[in-house]
Amino acid sequence: MKPFDIAFKDLTRSFRSTFSLIFMFGIPLLVTGMFFLMFGNVKATNAISIPATKVVVVNLDKGNAQTGALGQTIVESLQDKQLSGLMEISLMTDAAEARKMVETGASGAAIIIPADFSDSFIDPNARGEIEFLQDPTLTIGPKIVQSVLNNLIDAYAGIKITTSEASKKVASGSMTSDQIGPLVQNYVAAIHASTAEDKLIQQHTPASAPQKNAAAALIGPIMAGMMIFFAFFTGVNTTSSILREDEEGTLPRLFTTPTSQSEILRGKFIAVGLTIVIQVAVLITSAWLLFGIQWGSLLPLILSSLCLVCSAGTFGILICSIMKNTKQSGIVFGGLLTVTGMLGMINIFTGNPQGSPLGIVPMLTPQGWVARSMLATMSGASLSSILPFILGSFGISLIFFLIGVWRFQKRYA
Amino acid sequence: MQPALYVQNLHKTFRNGHNLKAVDGVSFEVNPGEIFSLLGPNGAGKTTTISMLSALLKPDNGATGVSDIRIMGKSLLAEPLAAKAMIGVVPQDIALYQDLTARENLVFWAKMYGLKGAQLKTRVAEVLELIGLTDRANDRISKYSGGMKRRVNIGVALLHQPSVIYMDEPTVGIDPQSRRSILDGVIALKNQGMTVLYTTHYMEEAQELSDRIAIMDHGKIIANDTHENLIRLVGQKTRISLSVNVEPETMIEPWRACNGVSTLVIEDTKINLLVDDSNIVLPRLFETAAAKNVRITSVEIQEPNLETVFLHLTGRALRDA
Ligand SMILES: Nc1ncnc2c1ncn2[C@@H]1O[C@H](COP(=O)(O)OP(=O)(O)O)[C@@H](O)[C@H]1O
Ligand SMILES: [Mg+2]
Repeated sequence: MKPFDIAFKDLTRSFRSTFSLIFMFGIPLLVTGMFFLMFGNVKATNAISIPATKVVVVNLDKGNAQTGALGQTIVESLQDKQLSGLMEISLMTDAAEARKMVETGASGAAIIIPADFSDSFIDPNARGEIEFLQDPTLTIGPKIVQSVLNNLIDAYAGIKITTSEASKKVASGSMTSDQIGPLVQNYVAAIHASTAEDKLIQQHTPASAPQKNAAAALIGPIMAGMMIFFAFFTGVNTTSSILREDEEGTLPRLFTTPTSQSEILRGKFIAVGLTIVIQVAVLITSAWLLFGIQWGSLLPLILSSLCLVCSAGTFGILICSIMKNTKQSGIVFGGLLTVTGMLGMINIFTGNPQGSPLGIVPMLTPQGWVARSMLATMSGASLSSILPFILGSFGISLIFFLIGVWRFQKRYA
Repeated sequence: MQPALYVQNLHKTFRNGHNLKAVDGVSFEVNPGEIFSLLGPNGAGKTTTISMLSALLKPDNGATGVSDIRIMGKSLLAEPLAAKAMIGVVPQDIALYQDLTARENLVFWAKMYGLKGAQLKTRVAEVLELIGLTDRANDRISKYSGGMKRRVNIGVALLHQPSVIYMDEPTVGIDPQSRRSILDGVIALKNQGMTVLYTTHYMEEAQELSDRIAIMDHGKIIANDTHENLIRLVGQKTRISLSVNVEPETMIEPWRACNGVSTLVIEDTKINLLVDDSNIVLPRLFETAAAKNVRITSVEIQEPNLETVFLHLTGRALRDA
């Protein structure tokens, strides 16, 4: 059982090293915790409670007999209770005054509905454009207001098409002009019904996300990314104990005992694997307990985690079998692991956990394969859909392992 | 009688840039129960030899004849694990896990030597007692003094009660008290019947401990015998150590030319000479100095010792050869 004795000794040393502990658990949890605090009070309703933006609304719309006062319905939509957490609406009558308030920063945004807004739905010559102004020093708040407004306008565009079709029918005599009014009213009612169902903002969150809590949905991929990044770090750090022991004389001393080279290497590799297993298990559990992160269903999660352990461990073995001495670990930690980690998880770091801004590039790194399967698992993907990534990752790990073992055996023959 | 350690024709060349022949045809035998010393200056090839004897380095295939290393009759090259189980190696540099305690280190190394269960426990306790660290056993090595670390470093090699123990300069860089206790420990091991291969560059240690001494220089063993017999190599020669009131280099040429001077080296401010008969040569040295207006400020005539032997054999001082 010498390999296990060697592994146990290595584990004891790893978990006694403050340096290892900080990189294994401290930094990943700390970084995720920071994001958790930033998005901390995201409510269970999925309504993001960024401080409400002050919006002044000036409704100059005169209305007309056929469509009624559509400007007023826009104002009512904006004043909807659902949106009250996002924007604080105040009504004004003076457009110039409203513009000034935005310029002076007294208000975050202004919405000015022109006098011919309703008319524009029946009169092709009326322009009826809603004016939107925002405080240029603010970014996120006005953007939200603007997107809500755009959603409303998009919905109203349907009315325009309806009325212009109806006008054609009136011209051709197949419809009377007083039938247009009720048609528009029905349409407006339908829009209101759908906004009441929360359509306006919810349409941006993926319906399949199993995360119960919105903050967890936001920081879940960050936590996964941190875990993958630092598991690879642990892989290299624990494997490089072979080089460190060589330099400190304990590895040569091991070779003077009746312990074979393969027992020593096996012990080292078991230690690498077990260290990452413990790291991943602790990170997954504590992220779940601390931040409520949902990791997906059990079997895919176990498989993805095994992938991570194998991938990070064998990458460490490969890299250390190439490294000449521990003086090179600076280049490896600061350069190689950082670059491959960033490329492999570029989707997470650019905020597109599902998408792929750099196409195939992430899949050129071992981290990329693990990240794909881990993120898919988190978003509730089935076992069969993550299987290609899992198999790919295990395949890469096997190649790394064989090369690394071959090089180490040659080195200490 | 079968030797405890049989070493035949070892060669090692380090091929990094300059082809340095660190060990050049080394052969010797160590009898059971003997303390055998390799005495030589830094860089003589002692550690390289020990490394080959512990299977850390493979001997080069010498152009002349086969190499062989046998420990208690077992070939290190043919059955490495069986041969290695017979030896305890004390490396020149401390090779311990600094972040583990002394006890944890001993338990780990005992497992590597194949000890288990009750025997492991007993041996760890015995060795802790032997190296006098029972009450500090649960402190981490990093908190130990240099002397204490050296003692644990030696203790590790004793766990499995080996037949042969190699000690590579175990007293380098420690205080006189720890040094004394280590030397006493080596003698105690011999008294228990252990065979010791000891390397050092301190001639006093080799002289005090060894049954036989091999003097090593530039990768070769240049003499191998008991202390008495080695001293006889110098013959009737006497070692004279002189100081002068000028730069010592001034007197190299004139004194070397004197009849009866066989060797002359400068060590710090002293000029050391090997002369045939000090009664005849000493007056000549004074005359030569006087002729150059140089005054001799001190004279010391020494009984021949290993230092003298090394001087005689190599023409250089042991300390900074
Ligand atoms: N790994 C090595 N690579 C290159 N040269 C070495 C190596 N180890 C030792 N040497 C050289 O071999 C010679 C003998 O060294 P060593 O055996 O350590 O001598 P000693 O132990 O007697 O002081 C020295 O010149 C040393 O510089
Ligand atoms: Mg040495």
